[in-house]
Amino acid sequence: MKIKINPVYRQESKVSSRSFRLPLIILLCNSILALAALLDMYFMVTQVRTTAEIQYSSFLSLYIFAAAIEFVMLLLIVPALTSGSISGERERQTLNLLLTTSMTPGDIVTGKLLASLSTVFVLIVSSFPILSLVFIYGGVTVKDILILLCCFSSTAFLAGGIGICCSAVFKRSTIATAASYCIMAFLVFGTLALSKFMSGFVGAGRAMNPGSFMVLLLMNPAVSFGVAIKNQTGSIRSIPVLELWAKNPETSPLISYWLGISIGVQLLAAVCCLLIAVRQVNPRRKRIWKG
Amino acid sequence: MVKIEGLKKMYGRAAALDGLSMHVREGALYGFVGPNGAGKTTTIKILTGLLLPDEGTVTIGGADGAKEPEKTIKMIGYVPDFFGVYDNLKVSEYMELFAACYGLYGLTARKRNMALLEQVGLGEKGDYYVDGLSRGMKQRLCLARALIHDPAILIMDEPTAGLDPGTRYEFREILKDLKDQEKTVVLSSHILPELSELCTDIGIVEQGKMVLEGTMDEILTQINVRSPLMISVYQGKEKALGILRSHPQVETIAIRQNDIAVGFMGDQEEEAILLGQLAAAGVMIYSFVRERGNLESVFMQITNHEEGMVLIHED
Repeated sequence: MKIKINPVYRQESKVSSRSFRLPLIILLCNSILALAALLDMYFMVTQVRTTAEIQYSSFLSLYIFAAAIEFVMLLLIVPALTSGSISGERERQTLNLLLTTSMTPGDIVTGKLLASLSTVFVLIVSSFPILSLVFIYGGVTVKDILILLCCFSSTAFLAGGIGICCSAVFKRSTIATAASYCIMAFLVFGTLALSKFMSGFVGAGRAMNPGSFMVLLLMNPAVSFGVAIKNQTGSIRSIPVLELWAKNPETSPLISYWLGISIGVQLLAAVCCLLIAVRQVNPRRKRIWKG
Repeated sequence: MVKIEGLKKMYGRAAALDGLSMHVREGALYGFVGPNGAGKTTTIKILTGLLLPDEGTVTIGGADGAKEPEKTIKMIGYVPDFFGVYDNLKVSEYMELFAACYGLYGLTARKRNMALLEQVGLGEKGDYYVDGLSRGMKQRLCLARALIHDPAILIMDEPTAGLDPGTRYEFREILKDLKDQEKTVVLSSHILPELSELCTDIGIVEQGKMVLEGTMDEILTQINVRSPLMISVYQGKEKALGILRSHPQVETIAIRQNDIAVGFMGDQEEEAILLGQLAAAGVMIYSFVRERGNLESVFMQITNHEEGMVLIHED
């Protein structure tokens, strides 16, 4: 039986495995994570020596710290990896050649996304030994780590989808990269700011408004990450921005199942971005506007 | 093999194609000629499925290009007017990538790659990075890439642009091989002598319309009729001029020392009769020949480059 791997994915993987970039990214990211984690551990051990008191909650803060660093790195790295994928092909003038083969625009976009996500997957998996430092002292289960992996995966998928969409829409890689970072910044910071701003008009304490602002917050990967960490460690008591919109955050079903719903919404948004990218890449698409 | 009917394409308000029709016979080496901006590249992009026409139909090997693009794509190999190569891949890897894009994997793909690289003279370069190849080699690699799925039709847009004469010669030899293999080739080029030498059919496009199309012989015969008849007179020039001025098929006369250039709208039989009339009148003629037209003169006339026109006026 022949295994037919997406040719674009195979080519990208071959080139990236040959280049110095992937090992360098893995080395840098894990070095930052390891340094932060080991320093954190060192300070905790020093505290034990001076006060003769073991604060197990401190080890959880190590987990939160390492996970947060990894999450931020994901937000920064994925758009950079994906936003040049289609526009880069256009700049090299190879996109048209691929489109004249039996490859469909969907195959090309999927190949590009898989290539970028596999790099990110290697990055996430390679950092697990550092995250698992927390297992030494307990407090976090394998299930928690898997939930965190789901959260990271949906974030990577969303950021990847946005990056590829921008790459397909904008002809130049630099503009596509800038646009992807702007959209990610809006999703992470803009939705929070907008929610806070709009809550002033609606007024806190009113009945929960599951309107467009909640949908925007559902698309915020940082809120999902915050909820995941809150559910796992309990060290974060609440996500203030969610409480702006909920009368009884403790009993609200949306807040209770926020993580699952937000991961679903983010995956859906990523799929929409990919569909836009496929449409943009397809040379046989009918134009919506004629001018 | 390729049939285009009434193709129209607008870019904003400018019409790139204005009802272009084109017919390419199976096994023909079709020269697609036209000035810059005439619509050649737009036509080629529509043929290869890279652009959707506003109006018109494209039929390739009996399949409708708009309705069955997956069928037509498999029939076409495309060599664009740029290299389109991945510099960080090896030559063999580049070929493997495009083989995989057509669903060719493993041993089948490797055998096909090697055969094609041999055919274009890159058999020894399989392990070289594409980055290290010369322009000519890159262009030959592009040709090998376009042939990877053994297409029935090869579409080439300015394939020899920017190549040195030696590489152009090598490229021409490869095209002759393809012609022998009975592949249908559509070749867009500005190098007209090259097309004259290679092509069996010609289509001249101007302002988005096909202005002249046919076999090379048909077109050259058509243009030869409009070329001047050169009569070199040894003795009796005045008599000759008298006969020519009164001849109903003579349109223009120009005198160049002992030679008379005559715009004569007659076929070979009528040329023979005229020669007989001149001889009977006692005009001594040492040369009587119709100037041969070439693709360049056809192109110049069709595309309205006045200075190149072969109409002769009396001095």
